[in-house]
This record gives sequence, structure tokens and C-alpha cells, in this order.
Amino acid sequence: MKRVLVVALLAVLALSSFAFAEKTQITWWHAMSGSRLDVVNAIVDQFNATHPDIELTAMFTGSYAETLTKFIASYKTGTAPNLVQVYEVGTQAMLGSQAIIPVYQVPGMLGETWDWAKYIIPIKNYYSKDGNLWSMPFNSSTAMLYYNKDLFAQAGLDPNKPPTTWKEVEEYGQKLRDSGVKNVLSFGWPGWIFEQMHTTHNQLFANNDNGRSQLATEVLFNGDFGTMVLENWTRLAKEGIFLYGGPEYSANTAFKSGQLAILLQSTSSLAGIEKGSQFAVGTSFLPRFEGYPMGDSVIGGGSLWVRKGQSTKELKAVWEFLKYLGNTDVAIQWHKGTGYFPTVNSAVKALLDEGWFSKDQNFLTAFLQILSGRRDTAAVKGVRLGPFVEIREIERSAIEKAVSGVLTPKQALDEAAQKADQLLKDYAELNS
Amino acid sequence: MIHILLILLVAVIAFPVIYALITSTLTFQQAYSYPPRLIPGNQLWTNITQAWERVNFGRLFFNSTVISVVVSFVKIVLALLAAFAYTHFRFRGRSILFPMTMVTQMLPLPVRILPTYHLMASFHWINSYYALMFPFFASTTGILLFRQFFMTVPRDLSDAARVDGTTPMRYFLQILVPISKTNIAALFVIEFIFIWSQYLWPLIVTTTANMRVVQIGLKMLLASEQIAPEWNVIMAGTIIAMLPPLVVLIVFRKSFAEGIAMQSEK
Amino acid sequence: MQEDRFPGHRFLPYLLILPSAAIIIIFLIVPFIQSVQESFFTTNPFGTKTIFVGLRNYMRLFASSDYHKSIVTTLIFSGFVIMIGLSMSLAIAHLLNQKIRGRGFYQIALIWTYALSPAVAGTIWALMFAPATGIVPYIVAKLFGGYVLNWMTNGKLALLVVSAAATWKMLGYNIVFFLAGLQNVPGELLEAARVDGATGWRTFWKITFPMLSPTTTFLLFVNMLYSFFQVFGLIDIMTRGGPGDATNILVYKLYRDGFIHMNSGSASAQSFLIFIVISVAAVIQLRVATRKAVYSR
Repeated sequence: MKRVLVVALLAVLALSSFAFAEKTQITWWHAMSGSRLDVVNAIVDQFNATHPDIELTAMFTGSYAETLTKFIASYKTGTAPNLVQVYEVGTQAMLGSQAIIPVYQVPGMLGETWDWAKYIIPIKNYYSKDGNLWSMPFNSSTAMLYYNKDLFAQAGLDPNKPPTTWKEVEEYGQKLRDSGVKNVLSFGWPGWIFEQMHTTHNQLFANNDNGRSQLATEVLFNGDFGTMVLENWTRLAKEGIFLYGGPEYSANTAFKSGQLAILLQSTSSLAGIEKGSQFAVGTSFLPRFEGYPMGDSVIGGGSLWVRKGQSTKELKAVWEFLKYLGNTDVAIQWHKGTGYFPTVNSAVKALLDEGWFSKDQNFLTAFLQILSGRRDTAAVKGVRLGPFVEIREIERSAIEKAVSGVLTPKQALDEAAQKADQLLKDYAELNS
Repeated sequence: MIHILLILLVAVIAFPVIYALITSTLTFQQAYSYPPRLIPGNQLWTNITQAWERVNFGRLFFNSTVISVVVSFVKIVLALLAAFAYTHFRFRGRSILFPMTMVTQMLPLPVRILPTYHLMASFHWINSYYALMFPFFASTTGILLFRQFFMTVPRDLSDAARVDGTTPMRYFLQILVPISKTNIAALFVIEFIFIWSQYLWPLIVTTTANMRVVQIGLKMLLASEQIAPEWNVIMAGTIIAMLPPLVVLIVFRKSFAEGIAMQSEK
Repeated sequence: MQEDRFPGHRFLPYLLILPSAAIIIIFLIVPFIQSVQESFFTTNPFGTKTIFVGLRNYMRLFASSDYHKSIVTTLIFSGFVIMIGLSMSLAIAHLLNQKIRGRGFYQIALIWTYALSPAVAGTIWALMFAPATGIVPYIVAKLFGGYVLNWMTNGKLALLVVSAAATWKMLGYNIVFFLAGLQNVPGELLEAARVDGATGWRTFWKITFPMLSPTTTFLLFVNMLYSFFQVFGLIDIMTRGGPGDATNILVYKLYRDGFIHMNSGSASAQSFLIFIVISVAAVIQLRVATRKAVYSR
């Protein structure tokens, strides 16, 4: 009888340890397409290989907008993933969603501690509220200036001296234009660049500290500064220097094929632009308006959010992955494969030490752009608006109207501000 | 004279696809040559394999085929049954139900997209074949088509069957359906092409890669490159994506043309 | 016409239409009613708060210049697809209707574009018009002294290109129906007209075209549905409503507002408004069809 009991006990133990040896399944929805997808998959495979008790499935669920929509829909029906990547303009929406666990609370829930100081400050600031990090930094970029050194040389300009102020952009632009360059300057993501102009000069974009201390109730971009910026761009367009390049990445093709001399674009485009380009690519900081204070360029890209309502096992697995992403070598792998910033300071140091930046100075520009500005004021920490997606489109529309002469810059911005304020009001109505 | 005109038309209309086909045989560099290259290369197979692997076309083709065939089949069956009812029986409510069916022609998906999506979510059908198929099972085109055809079927046929003691369903299966073959084939072509081309609905209702359809695969292929679209690979994917409905159209072209011709007769 | 051919079967007809009716009610009518309901509310994306706002969503749309622009864009787009599409298809169908050798071949060689999906058509035309490297900008540059044809930054051009792509894809479908309609025009009528000395043009306008009116009205309705809704894939692949709002037709604006801006209240209101537009068009089509049918007797 005793023997039967012992065998039975052993069997139960064996079965239960088998149950414990079962992998914890977690899912992650993201919007990284193209070559970035390959890097994501490589990192996920490595993680799964080094964490045999966890099985992380990463799924590409479309664009940022589609991923967010699907997340929301699935959350309402209880089928949402454990981890989701949301674009930076969705930050406020996620903050107020009651569907996530702020990432700074996760270690505590698991009885662990974590050093939050390891993350690069400007990135950490962007996704923090009241000094606490709510989502995990993942793919961050900023904007910088790309230029075609060959075209510069052809126009009689020093190919190693890019323009640093908008006045110089205009002067150099005139020379480039006169030397036969069809279009001198264009932007990717014009709405974002417009915001960048504000943050790099320490100008508030919206009230309530850019929407960071409380929900913003009005935008400020139709003030003196914003109007000045747009008037500048409109004048450059009239002079044939600035060509409005369409939303997002459409201007890149023109730059790559040598039809554009200067491009203001995301740092994440660097690898793609350099690959197979037939000319020497130079980079520099975003041009400044003289006489205005120093700020910092603002973060773009996305971050990772932890879904609410997970079992402790799942949460632990998710946290393991988030910690894994913060490893120096993984951060470096992500940066080298995609051009996004590594999220941790140790990675930046390691890259400097190994001489990564002396191989290609252009990668250094991107870093210095974000790391060399001030980081203390609300104006530089990033804009946080609920209906940000729509407001970006409104900004873009205003820029188009001003540049094409349909409205004056002030009219365009006032019209945009009116629409934006109404959206902010609606958002507050639904989210207070 | 007329031949020249027709050949010209054929060429002009076919040009975009021919250009796409040529591009699908080039390398990435060649696809970006300036002036654009019109001489085919030899990379067709490589590009097809690349496109295939990148978005897992195998699975997507399976999904699209299953959905298109099943939905077409179900739609035809349901339409046949409904048309049979409307044309061979008198029953209360016929005068309301039939117009109601017609009203639904004015309810294409976008007009009811959000609630239908929520409905799928509440059935837990999101990201499943059910969600991709069920909303399409109702077909007003089919009901109209078969109704019109059945109305031209001589009364003698059904009278003879009735006198014989044949049940309506046997009459339906053994007489009505076989003579409707042309219309069935025509409807199959129309529905297959319609379902295969669906884009918006699969876009919002599928979340994982293994449930996507060919059209979305195409979108993924295009989304692949932020900066320089790999036209050669994209075109290879496009060419594969267009084949099944094309094959269906060509195989059934006679019945298709005849079915439509029958429709147009008074 | 609809006689009772199988009297005495009380339940069978209901059984026969039950599946269709069930699907229509559950998946079409109920969601539609819900959509109308939702149009009177505003909800935040995660659904944690819903507020009744009455007609506010509608009022905002009526006052919105973006919505007006979308309407105009849709009218121009649909107008192009319908007018150009139907006239070209009719002309081609007329050509095909002649007794010539190889007619079968020509037929299939001209209608096959019908099998392409809007997304496929969009991809191919995007290739042809690709700004720096496409064949059409190249030809234009050669013909017009280096003019850079960039549809990604030129709204009017973008609208033209998507309209052309959409029309091209639908040619096959229209041709098939017009051909069928043309073949139903009694030969004797045409022969009589010829004997009377009427020119081809007159014959066409006085006899053929009126006899085609059922087909024409049918195609008008189908092309309208097509240009309002089915082209979504084409727009999403080619322009996503851009540049700016240049190709933001009503259905795309609905998608953007509902799924990207997550404003379900406004999207529902827009759904209902589109429904009204199509219903009006359908009713007009029905009226014209019945009237013409009466006349052609």
C-alpha cells in the first residue's frame, strides 16, 4: 500500500513538474515592417532560445494605426496581446485607456527592482508621466538634416559645411537652385518637422506644458513662433527652394535619386538612404532660427505597452522580455539593424568605444542631435495630445495650404488651431 | 481597319500589366534604371520566390481560395433557394420580404462596417474564416439573377412535375438547377472575383499573418520598404495575385458571357 | 407573373428563404441599424465612456470643409469613372459587336481586366506612375521638356491617376454588359434604319442607345457602387487618401475617421449619409428604368 502511495506521489510530482515546465505563452503585436521585421524576429528567436520556459510570439499586425485599432478591438473582447507597440502619437490615448499597466509598476508587482536610469533621458522623458515611465522605450528616432555632398560641391559650396541656420539654408539654397538643382529642400513628415522646430527652440506647442501636466486644451502653434516658421517655409517655397514633399517618406525617393539637395527626415531613414545611393550623403542637425533659445529635438517612433489583466506568469514573461531588450548587446543589435536609437546609455557608450561612429559619421549626428540639447523643460520633453493623429494631419494640411499659397501662414495656422482645439475639447469630454 | 483599332485597344489596355510583368523579371537595380527598362530580364523565378516567402503567399492563397470558393458556393445555393421560393410559391409576406432583399443592395459593407466588426468580435469570430465569410453569404445579385431566369421557365414544366406528384424540392434539384447551369457558372465567376478582391473587410478583421488574404499580402509587400519599393518583387507578387480570378474568368468565359446575355434579354 | 406554381406548401417557401433572410437580417440589417444608433453618440476609443450627442456628429460633418471637399472629390472621381468608363466601354463593345474574324479572341482580350482586383490595379498603376522612375513620368518628361510628373505631391494629378486606374479596371465588366445589351438590339430594326438611309451615328442615337437603357442604368448603378466602395483597396494602396486630402473619397474618409482617428460616432454618421446618397441614386435609377421601359414598349 505504501509503495502504491509513493508511486502515486511521484507520478503527481512528475506531472506537476511537467505542468510547470510548460512554456508561458505570450504575444506581442508590432508594426515593424521590411528589414526591421527581420531584426525583430532575430531578437525574438534569441530571446526564446535563451528563455526556454517562455514562448514569445511576435506578430506584425500592419501599420501603427492598424495595430492600435486591432489592439483596442481585441482588448474589448478579451483577446488582446500581452505586449503591444504603439506609435508615439498614441501615447496619450494609451495613458488614459485603463487598459495597460504602467511599466514602472511592473517590477514592483513581481517583487523585483529595476534601474530606470539606464534609459536614455530624452527617450525616457517622452514616455514618462510625473517622472515615472509608463511604456518601455523601443524604437525611437528623431529628425535631422541630410544633404547631397556632390550637389553641394557642384554649386560651389563646401561639401563639409552643411547649413546650420535657416538663413544659411536660404543662402545655400539660392546657390543650389542657381546651379541647376531642381528642388533644393524638402521634408519627410512635415507635421513632425513643424513640431521639431518648436521643441528645438524650446517653444511650447500646446498649453498645460505640452499636455504633459494635464490634458491640453489649446494648441499654441499658431502663435508668433509657429507663424514665423511657416512664413519662412512659404517664402522658401516661393523662391523655388523648398518643395513640399508629401507626407511621411515620399520625399526620400527624390533625395535618393539626386533630385533633392537637402532633406529633413527621420534618423531611421539613414540606413535606407545610404544604401545604394550614388552620391556622398552628409548629415547635420536640424537648422535653427537665430535668436531663439536652445531646446532639443523630439522623439518619434514607438514604445511598448503592457496590457492590463495578465496572470503573474505572463507578466513575469513579458517583463523578462522587456529586461532582455534593455541588455546592452540587444540594444546595439537593434540599433545596428534598424538605425533606431539604442534605448540604454550603456549601449551608447559601447558603440562609442568600439568606434562605430567613426566608421560612419552620419550615425553620430543622429545621436548628438538628441543628446546634445537641454532636457529639463516641458517644451523639450515632447508633445502629448489625445487626438494627436488627427492633429498631425491638420498641421500637415495647414503647411500645404500655406506653402501652396491657398492661405497665408497665419490664416492656415489659425484655421488648424481652431480645428485642433475643437478636437482637444472633444477628447477632454470623453476622457475626464 | 477595324482589326488595327482592336489590336491597338488590346495593346493599350494590356500595357500596364505587360509592364508589370516585365518589371517582375528584373533585378532591383534594373527596375530602377532610367530610362525605364522595357526588355525583360531573367529574374522572374527569383522574384516570385522572394515575394512568396516574404508574405507567405502559400498560406494566403489557401485562405483566399477557401473563402472565395465556399462563399461563392453558399451564395449560389442560398440565392437559388430564395429565388425558387419567390417565383414558385405564393406566401404571405412575399411582397415585403422581396423588396427588403433589394434594399440590402444599398447596404454595402462600409455602410455598416463598425457594428458588423463588433458583431464578429462578440461572436469571437475575429481573425477566423467565419468572420471572413459569413457577412458575404447574402447575395442580392444572385437572387435577382435566378429570379429573372426562373420567371422565364415555362409554367408547363412545374405543372407537369406537380401532376406527376414530384415534390417541389425534387423538381428544384432535378429540373430547375440543371437548366440553370449557365447562370450558376456566370454567378460563380462574378462572386469568385468579388470575394477574391475583398480588401477592406479582411484588412480590419484579421490580426495574424496566417489568416490574411492575398490582397492584404499585396499590401504587406508594398509596406515592406519605406524608402525604395522593390518593384520587381512587388510586381512578381502582383502577377501571382491576379492569376486565380483570371483563370476562373477564362475557364468560364463562355458561360459568363451567356449568363450575362440572358440577363439582358427582356 | 409570380404565380403560385406549387400550391399547398405552407411552410416550404419560408424555409427556402430562411437562410438568406437570416443572413441579411443578422449581418446586414441589424448592423446597419446599430450604425445609425451609434451615429448619435460619441465614444472614446477604448469604449470606456459614451456620450449621447444627438445630431452633433451630423452637424459637424455638414459644417466641415473637409467633408465638403471629400464629397466633391468623390463626385469628380465617380463622375470620371462612370462617364469615361461607360463611354469607352460602349465604344469598345460597339466595335466588338461587328462580325469580324477572331471576335472571340478580341472579346476575352478586352474584358480580362475585370478579373483584377482594385488592389492589384492600384499596385500596377503605382508602378507606372512612380515619380522618379516610372514609365509614364519618363514619357512625360521626354515629351514636355523635363516636366517632373509627381503624383505624390500633386493632388489634382493624384486624383486623375487613381480615377484612370479605377476606370481601367472596370472596363472589362462594362464591356461584357454592353456587348450583351448590343446583341439584344434586334437586327431588323437596324436594318430598317439603314434601308431608310440613316447614318450609323443617327442609328446609334435613335435606336441602339435607347434600347440599351436598361443595361446603361444597370451599369450606372453598379459603377456608382464600385466607385463609391469597392475602390477602397485601390486608394489604400496608391495614395491612402493623399496627398493631403486630394483622393480622400467618402469611403476612405470614413475609414480614416473610424479606424485611424478612432472617431466612431462621426464614422457612423458618415456611413448613414453615404447610405442616403446611394438610396436616392437607386430610387432614381429604378424610376428611370421603369419609365424608359414603358417608353420602349
